[in-house]
Amino acid sequence: MVKKLITEDTKLFMTGNEVISYAAVAAGAEFMYGYPITPQNEVMHTWCKLQPKTEAGFLQTEDEISAGFSTLGGILAGKKAFTATAGPGNVIMQDAMSMAEMMRIPFVCVILQRGGPSTATVIYSQQETTLTCFGGNGEGHRIVYSTSGHQDLYDYTIKAFNTAWKYKFPTYVLADGYQGKMREPFIAYDPESRGIEMIPATPSLRAEGMVGVDRKAVHMRNTFNMEEELMEVLDSFEEDFNRIAPEIQEYQEYRADDADILIIAHGIVARSACTAIDELREKGIKAGLFRPITLRPLAVEPLRKAVSRSKQILFAESANGQMARLVLEKIYGLTTPYQTLYKMGVGITGGDIVEKVEQMDSAIACR
Amino acid sequence: MARTKIVLAGEGGHGVQSIAKILVEAGYAANKKVLYIPNFGVEQRGGVSIAFCQIADEEIGEPRFSKGDIVIMLSDRAINRCSMYVDKNSTAVYDSSICNTRPDINAKEIIGIPANKIANDEISARVFNIIILGVVIKATGVLEADYVKNAMIAAFGKKFDNNPALKEMNFKALEKGIELIEAKASV
Repeated sequence: MVKKLITEDTKLFMTGNEVISYAAVAAGAEFMYGYPITPQNEVMHTWCKLQPKTEAGFLQTEDEISAGFSTLGGILAGKKAFTATAGPGNVIMQDAMSMAEMMRIPFVCVILQRGGPSTATVIYSQQETTLTCFGGNGEGHRIVYSTSGHQDLYDYTIKAFNTAWKYKFPTYVLADGYQGKMREPFIAYDPESRGIEMIPATPSLRAEGMVGVDRKAVHMRNTFNMEEELMEVLDSFEEDFNRIAPEIQEYQEYRADDADILIIAHGIVARSACTAIDELREKGIKAGLFRPITLRPLAVEPLRKAVSRSKQILFAESANGQMARLVLEKIYGLTTPYQTLYKMGVGITGGDIVEKVEQMDSAIACR
Repeated sequence: MARTKIVLAGEGGHGVQSIAKILVEAGYAANKKVLYIPNFGVEQRGGVSIAFCQIADEEIGEPRFSKGDIVIMLSDRAINRCSMYVDKNSTAVYDSSICNTRPDINAKEIIGIPANKIANDEISARVFNIIILGVVIKATGVLEADYVKNAMIAAFGKKFDNNPALKEMNFKALEKGIELIEAKASV
């Protein structure tokens, strides 16, 4: 068992990467596997710095392929293990992530998005949205929380472990380089104090007892002989995923009830949208926000309601419409017109959104 | 004061990230909302180093902003890189003893401070960035100097304990930065 660091509510002021490590400790994570990549390095650094106090385990592997599979190994052996990566690391870890999907392994991974494709920038982007939701040679049976700051990083890193271990789908905390490197205050807490019961890790393989006497045999399949065999399994995964979606899906609205112009944004861009909305409202423009917190699965009903209520939509993201594609599929049939503010691999400020929404608003007025 | 947006830009080694950290720690201690994000790239040193700081009474949304209320530029390259964060509502500050030209930008006010020269001549080259920190807090009025001094003690505690002269030097530099803005205001 890992030793607790936080026993009572404590206000801390640190970088997001540090927050992630503190949250993983609070969640009872026992082992981290990882390979260094900016802007994720300090998750590992902090995890290791805390080791004398937490007595948790750490292994730096030779690359992200190994980090991903080692994490799976640790989990199969019954450890609450996790990893964190970014950019090209996220790309090459997809093999292990696909295996987690296929074998329903409670894999937890924190992604700090950086600019892409390839090495690109070490700084920031929202360009790993598609990759994180649908990477690998599978169907995207994954749960993805998109955070927008330090309190989120703490809350959803803790939550990710319980989601993964409860539902046995790989679970992601999708953050970005800004969140990893920026410094802001948040409240750290012991999950128990909030009534959050952490699900203990149990071994999937080599559990105690004799097979057939004390316990059933475990048969975790990654290979199938027949097409139909595979489809039967994947159909059951799809059914499970759809059944649990209502329990998992989360979203946030900000001044969206009476919004004429609905901004749809996730992650850190949603915060810039809030800044913009306050400014726009002061100017008499009714803007609001719909922020999907879970990108997989999306909160479809609330999303469709919010879109139906508004006159225009603006998709704002630091990518070329990766979130918008997820959303557009789910709002099929609705006729609310939309515009886009896409800045590939570049931060979006409140000022950027104000300018765009003002243009949209004056276009309505001209009609 | 709802929200003060501060850009600090200099050459790698000027210590802009150090003073940014002290500034936001002081803001945090003063019970303000604070957010600090460094500009980070693949360069280890030698590039323009930029810190984006925000100190506010209300919750802070965006981590990066389009225009700063005060934009500090400590080298010619920093001026080139960071003029984009200056508009007609911004105060632009440059180091007139380092920069070869006065920034040619449309700002509310452009202030030239020979902080590097003053540090070298009057205190020590090591506290050049602390003079700038004094300039920032006085020009924005965002924080009382005591909070900043306490944050400096927290940051350099052991060094100050081992060498009390270092503490005096840093405090003197902070006061000097404040004075430079006061002197300008009284003209």
